[in-house]
Amino acid sequence: MARWGMAADLDRCNGCGGCVVACHAENNISTVGPEQASRGRAKHWIRVERYWEGDFPDVKLKFRPTMCQQCGNAPCEPVCPTYASHHTEDGLNAQVYNRCIGTRYCANACPYNARFFDFFNPSWEKPLQLQLNPDVSLREVGVMEKCTFCVQRIRGTQTTAKTEGREIRDGEIQPACVQACSTRALVFGDLEDRESEVSRLSRSPRGSKLLEDVGTRPAVTYLARLTEEA
Amino acid sequence: MPQIFKRSANTLARASIVGTLLVVGGLLGLIMAIGQSSYVTRAQEYIDQPIQFSHLHHAGDDGIDCRYCHTSVETAAFAGIPPTKTCMNCHSQIWSTAPILEPVRASFREDQPLRWIRVHDLPDFVYFNHSIHVKKGMGCETCHGRVDEMPLMLQENSLQMDWCLTCHRNPEQFVRPRTEVFTMGYSPPVPQSEIGPRLVKEYGIQSLTSCSVCHR
Repeated sequence: MARWGMAADLDRCNGCGGCVVACHAENNISTVGPEQASRGRAKHWIRVERYWEGDFPDVKLKFRPTMCQQCGNAPCEPVCPTYASHHTEDGLNAQVYNRCIGTRYCANACPYNARFFDFFNPSWEKPLQLQLNPDVSLREVGVMEKCTFCVQRIRGTQTTAKTEGREIRDGEIQPACVQACSTRALVFGDLEDRESEVSRLSRSPRGSKLLEDVGTRPAVTYLARLTEEA
Repeated sequence: MPQIFKRSANTLARASIVGTLLVVGGLLGLIMAIGQSSYVTRAQEYIDQPIQFSHLHHAGDDGIDCRYCHTSVETAAFAGIPPTKTCMNCHSQIWSTAPILEPVRASFREDQPLRWIRVHDLPDFVYFNHSIHVKKGMGCETCHGRVDEMPLMLQENSLQMDWCLTCHRNPEQFVRPRTEVFTMGYSPPVPQSEIGPRLVKEYGIQSLTSCSVCHR
C-alpha cells in the first residue's frame, strides 16, 4: 500500500501561481468574487504564501506553495461527527462531500488553513461550465472541501495500472499542481517506495515539515532555500 | 368522587405504548421500503428511446457480441454508445428501407448523433469504471441482467450503494472466469463457493470499500 506524499523545493518555486490556476481548473473550484473573498470565503486548495523580509527597498520575497499537508495524524479527522473527513488506506485525508453536514469542526482543527467551506452553490457563467472536469464532483453549498492530492488522478492511474496488470511507475501520477509547475518545484509520489524521487527528496537534509512540532506528521516536505538572493 | 378511568384503562395505556412503537417502526420500515423500491430507483422501468432498439434481437437472437457496439468497455471507464456508423454497418444492407429505422438513416444523412436516453444513470458524484470490472471477471449480466432477453432496455438493479457493496464486500460470490464475462445466462461449471475464492485469488481482486474509490 502506497503512502502518497509531496516534496516542494522552495529553491525552485518562483511564485508564478501556475499551481493555483491548475488546481482550480482540475478540481472545479468555484470563485466567490472580491466581496466574499474579503470576508475570508475564498477557496484555494493550494495557495502561494508570500513572505517579505527586510525593509523597502531592501526586501526579499520568499514563496511557499501551501496545500493540505495530508497529515498522517490529522487533526481534522477525529473531530468529524459524520466520518466525512477520514483517513484512507494510502494515507490521504479524504473528504466525502455527501456525508458532510457542514459543522466546520475540521476547518477549525486544521492548523494549516487548508480546508474551505462552501458558502454558496457553485455557478459558472456560460459557456464556462463546459470546462468543468467531469472526473470531479461539484460541491454544493454547506460542505467542506480541500486538496485531495487529485485523488481522481490517483484512482484513475491505479485502475489503469491494474487493468494493464502492472505496477504504477514513479512519477506516473501527477496532481494538477505538480503537472503545471514550470520549475518542477513540486514532486509527487509514493513515500513507501524508497527509490521514488519524492522519497529521496523527503529524506534530504534540507527538508522540513510545516508545524512539525504539533505532531500532525504531514506528507508534504519543504526543501529549504539555498540561495541568498530572492 | 367516582373514578374517571375504569380498571381496563390500565391495559389500554399499556397497549398504546406497544401500538405507538409498532406504528413508528412500521412507518420507518415503510419509508425504507419506498426508498429501495423501483418507484424510487426506477429499476425495471422502460424508458422511451429515439428508436425502439431491442437488445433481445441484436444480442440474443443475432448473437452480436457486447463489444461490437460497446467498444471501450475493456479499456475505459465508459462502455461507449455506438455511433450511427456502427448501426449502418449492417443496416445499410439489411432492413435498409424499414420505416422504423428512419431515425437511424436520418442521423447518418445529417451527421447528427442519435440522442439515446441513458438507462443506467448513476448519480453525478459516483465514478464507475467498466474496464477494471471486466478485467477482474465481473460479467455484464451481473449488473445489467439478461440483456439478451430484454426487448427494450431497462435497469435491472437498484444501482444503490447498498447494492454495489454486496459485491464489493463479497466479490467471490459474483466473480466469473474472464472468458465468461460477456456470456449471457452463465452458470458456474463448478459450485460458485469453489470457483469464486479461487478466481478472487487468481485475479488479485481487492475488496475496495474505501469511499474515495468511487466518490471524488
